[in-house]
Amino acid sequence: MNTTVVGVLQFVLLIASAPLLGALIARVKAFIQRRQGLPLWRPYADLAKLLRKQDLVPSSASPLFRFAPAVLAATTVLAAAFVPLFHGSALLGFAGDFVIFVYLLALGRFFLGLGALDSGSSFGGMGASREMMVSALAEAPLLLGLVSVAILAQRANIVEMVTWTLGQNFFDISAVHAVAFAALAMVAVAETGRMPVDNPTTHLELTMIHEAMVLEYSGPSLALIEWAQAVKLHMVFALLVGLFVPWGMATSLTLAGLGPALGIYILKLLALVLVVGLLESTIAKFRMYVVPEFLGIAAALAMLAVVFTALMRR
Amino acid sequence: MTQPLFQGHLLILAALPLLVLFGWRSPGYRRLAPALLVASALAGLSATILAWRTGQFPVLDLSHILPFPFILGLDRLSSVFVFLIAAVSAAATVFTLPYVERHYSHGRQAWIWVFLPLFVLSMIVVVTAGSAFAFLFGWELMTLFSAALVAVDGDSPERRHNLVIYLLMMHAGAAAVLACFLLFLPYAPGLTFTAIRAAGGVLPPARTIATLLLAFVGFSTKAGVIPIHVWLPKAHPIAPSPVSALMSGLMLKTAIYGLVRFGFDFFPHVDAWWGYTILLAGAVSALLGILYALTERDLKRLLAYSSVENVGITYLGLGSALVFQSQGASTWAGLALVGALAHTVNHAFFKSLLFLGAGSVSLTTHTLNLDELGGLLKRMPFTGASMLVASCSIAGLPFFNGFVGEWLLFRSFLGGATLPNAGAHIALPLAAGILALVGGLSAACFLQVFGIAFLGRPRDVEAEYAEEAPAGMWIGTGLLALACAAVGVYPKLLLGPLSQLASQLTGNQNAADALGLLPAVLPILAIAVLAVVFLAAALPRATRVTATWACGLPGLSPRMQYTATAFSKPLRSVFAVVYKPDRRVEVLPDNRPYFPATVTYRSVRTTSFEQSLYRPAVDAVVAAAQQLRRLHTGNIQMYLLYIFLTLILLLALVRVLR
Repeated sequence: MNTTVVGVLQFVLLIASAPLLGALIARVKAFIQRRQGLPLWRPYADLAKLLRKQDLVPSSASPLFRFAPAVLAATTVLAAAFVPLFHGSALLGFAGDFVIFVYLLALGRFFLGLGALDSGSSFGGMGASREMMVSALAEAPLLLGLVSVAILAQRANIVEMVTWTLGQNFFDISAVHAVAFAALAMVAVAETGRMPVDNPTTHLELTMIHEAMVLEYSGPSLALIEWAQAVKLHMVFALLVGLFVPWGMATSLTLAGLGPALGIYILKLLALVLVVGLLESTIAKFRMYVVPEFLGIAAALAMLAVVFTALMRR
Repeated sequence: MTQPLFQGHLLILAALPLLVLFGWRSPGYRRLAPALLVASALAGLSATILAWRTGQFPVLDLSHILPFPFILGLDRLSSVFVFLIAAVSAAATVFTLPYVERHYSHGRQAWIWVFLPLFVLSMIVVVTAGSAFAFLFGWELMTLFSAALVAVDGDSPERRHNLVIYLLMMHAGAAAVLACFLLFLPYAPGLTFTAIRAAGGVLPPARTIATLLLAFVGFSTKAGVIPIHVWLPKAHPIAPSPVSALMSGLMLKTAIYGLVRFGFDFFPHVDAWWGYTILLAGAVSALLGILYALTERDLKRLLAYSSVENVGITYLGLGSALVFQSQGASTWAGLALVGALAHTVNHAFFKSLLFLGAGSVSLTTHTLNLDELGGLLKRMPFTGASMLVASCSIAGLPFFNGFVGEWLLFRSFLGGATLPNAGAHIALPLAAGILALVGGLSAACFLQVFGIAFLGRPRDVEAEYAEEAPAGMWIGTGLLALACAAVGVYPKLLLGPLSQLASQLTGNQNAADALGLLPAVLPILAIAVLAVVFLAAALPRATRVTATWACGLPGLSPRMQYTATAFSKPLRSVFAVVYKPDRRVEVLPDNRPYFPATVTYRSVRTTSFEQSLYRPAVDAVVAAAQQLRRLHTGNIQMYLLYIFLTLILLLALVRVLR
């Protein structure tokens, strides 16, 4: 097996299993609430249903309205090709500079925001305005957190950063990693629109952010958006796992190496799913204006991580 | 071949005003003036490209016919700026022809065509100057001709006030620039750049510090760095659109040129403090600039503040390049310098495009208030498409040119961690955080600009009946948009020459290699993204056009959409400490709070540097003058006493100093 095949495998796994992740989190929450919960194939059925349905376009909208979900999907999928899952490589790993990764996601978000404003309803503007507030404030901690890890690894390529961490001894890991992990985990919550920053299941205009943006979308366009959102969640999970707990990842290209690595990766994901499910069941969504404070703490932690890199130098 | 092209470029620019002045009564000049202006730009473009290729840089020495050394010439640094000025002014000229025909009477049009070439010429003189006199000559004329172009547009007390502030601050800045050249004087006879370069190494330390400080203040005034930016949001919005485009897109860049000239050419080694000063000024300008831009409703004022932000970003790159260079890390210095120069070039393209687009919008809708616009993309598709490209570029999104410079800056900030100096190790990576925050805020700001003005439904009648601008205008913006997209997808176009320049300036041949894979990656990714976009857009689907969902109510009115004021509200609340807003809600009539006839909401920023910095300074000067006035008794005996006392004082001083 060569790297390209493994790259394609990881890429397909990331994209195809993404909707499952959301269903698993919902299942954990249902278990805690003593409900039966959705069947795990339900997100796929939803997507299939949306793909068959009509696409409703507001009469005031320009061609950009239909174009926006495609851009979101394309940038998200491309960014997904930068992230390693269970082997220290990725399909487009050579191009996967962390700055490009972050800004590809920004490109998708920008177009989705434009689509939202194009719908001509106040919900679109509301969602776009709030989403841009959250993402503008999340950008600094996100990049600073990545910068601190990149400084330690002396590399800016995501795959190389992951393989560098993989080569370190777990018990030698520094305070930088701990602080950067805390910052990036907080940013991840905001970026993926999970509780307590945003509630993906709400449709209350006082609180919704992402859902308000996509309110006017239907049919295949909505399917693209939902799926891109799911891919983003999986991708962010994979990035956190890869940057901070990559141990167990395969370094060889043999089946004997890849099999257990895949198993370990799935276990790590399930652990994350459990944590997120538990968290979302136990905390309430923040008020809108607490989110900046939350992200401010993340920014302070990320700055601390950068300062620590200077202290740790030999 | 480069010599005649370069001379032709200058000659047409200098002769055109005379031609227009003497021949404006004949109808032909109206076509002739823009045609000649474009021809001169093409001559300039080919001169720089040829010079770059062949390495034969033309020099024009006029010292023998003038009373002082006056040398114009190209080198690699100048050619980049000449290329930029020629390219942007060519696109702006194409735009200007229909623009002035629809805005101005016959006579005013003629004045525009007189001053426009002179303004371009003065900028060319600044960036090609080979002696301090030529530089200052161009520097002063640049101010005067741009002011003249603003004055052609119209006259009102407010405009005069703004113009006076502009001229005052520019002259204060020019005084600092003049002083920093004069400090070279005993060491660099004739003040030619060759002599200055030779003197740079032998200047006493105190003089070096004074020179660098004065250069920083002088150039920063021109660049519009906070807190000496107050002229910029006053002067840029009142100029005709093509002139605002040249002022924001090109004139500010001459300050960057000056700083690079001083930091990397005149002085063989500049201490780190100068780099840190520029870095700090850049961080403040970038952050405050974009925060002020976010609150603006007037498109041109918003763009003016965003120029402050972008100059700040360039300063971040320039400052870090100087810090790297002072620490001997010339490879990283090269990378940061390429980033700063790339952002300079990119900003020139997308900012002039945005100002021109604003001109098209105001031509057809007669307003620049974002809250009255909407739905323009369907009504002006060509202008709208170029404005979309410009908005994506300025937001720093990949596959558009704004990303290229910011990307290089992020990468070079990482290099700070390789420096032995702990301060640089912390300061430079933290600058990445500032850049990220600024990038996020500018994405929000320009999502607002494009989304509110060009998407959704028109918020006012004027926007409802908007039409596409005349062909020349959208061709002008379209050309700039093509340049933005081309550099964004294939950055080697820009980074190739700039890295050669950076290797020369930093004296490190490896500076070009530091780019590594960066330029090659973007075209591949662009193709991949386009392929997936087309795949996704080609999904089989049935489309039905319906009304926007209105929660079951009879219908939505366009006024129910979010306005720019509403859009920026969350961010304005988060950064309330910067704005200290004064909010007023007025509900009329008073006695029916639940069913009012009108509700007006007003929220204005109360913080301003004019109020908190300039006003107290002026007050202090006036108060001091009031005290000094007591000396003026009007009594001749008292004045004789003053003269006598001064004489004694001076004699004593001479005695002590001996």
